[in-house]
Amino acid sequence: RGPAGRGMAAAAFERRVLRSAAEHHYLRVRLELPDGGARPNAAQFKQLVVTALRELHGEVGAALPVDVLTYEEKTLSAILRVISSGLVKLWSALTLLGFYQNRRCAFRVLQTSPFLLALSGNSRELVLD
Amino acid sequence: HAALSRRYVLCEVVSEDPRCRQCIEDRVLGLAIRDAITRVHGDYGLACCSISFTVKYLNAYTGTVLLRCRKDSYRLLCSALPFVRHLESRGQRCPCFLNTLHVGGTIRTCQKFLIQYNRTQLLRLLQNCTNEEERQCIQKSLLSCSLTEEQSESGDEEDDDGTE
Repeated sequence: RGPAGRGMAAAAFERRVLRSAAEHHYLRVRLELPDGGARPNAAQFKQLVVTALRELHGEVGAALPVDVLTYEEKTLSAILRVISSGLVKLWSALTLLGFYQNRRCAFRVLQTSPFLLALSGNSRELVLD
Repeated sequence: HAALSRRYVLCEVVSEDPRCRQCIEDRVLGLAIRDAITRVHGDYGLACCSISFTVKYLNAYTGTVLLRCRKDSYRLLCSALPFVRHLESRGQRCPCFLNTLHVGGTIRTCQKFLIQYNRTQLLRLLQNCTNEEERQCIQKSLLSCSLTEEQSESGDEEDDDGTE
């Protein structure tokens, strides 16, 4: 409650704290394919993510709304968007994925945030001259 | 001390195929349900639900099945039951579906529900009788039900007359 001042009615204010209110979570991930074979294109990348979800979490997991916002075939890195309630399922599925077309692979999650803007800067890869 | 809570799911196997009765076995059903959980909820769901999952009771005549699972994963189990579509046994594959009747915390509550449910089912079957013969048959078998005192708690099997 704000203080009442000089005979005026007290200005009432209300404080609201929203925890985990963001609708989506964003992940910057990189796929590591140590063998020098053909790289997946964007559609194959999305298929790989959905396959990972289907293996660990079944049809319910595969139906999770996941979007590939950006994808770079050269570096095999992408920004994924997932509904906040599905973050744990997606991250665990990416962690436990081991094979892409019978080739060994691994997903590295570089950054994650409920705000897309936060993924634009990465203090880990910051180079100080 | 967190007590080990379990949930008991009572369901019935409904099928138009008369050979389905032979397929209703605990191993067959257990496999079919585990397969459905794997399809719907993946490896994680299967591992979650498999902890203390068993088929506790089966009645092939009425198609009643009692399943047991952990309290934490009964929702995974219940949501996967509609995806059981066939029962495979001895090379036979019968289409069927599982109808969930009741979820209880103990076997006793499920038993109480089942007794009540069977009573109402018998009444319904009696009403749906098409001819007098069937009616007499049902009435006779009902009146001849008895509770044998030797066994600890088993009552008489309340068979239906097979016309589902």
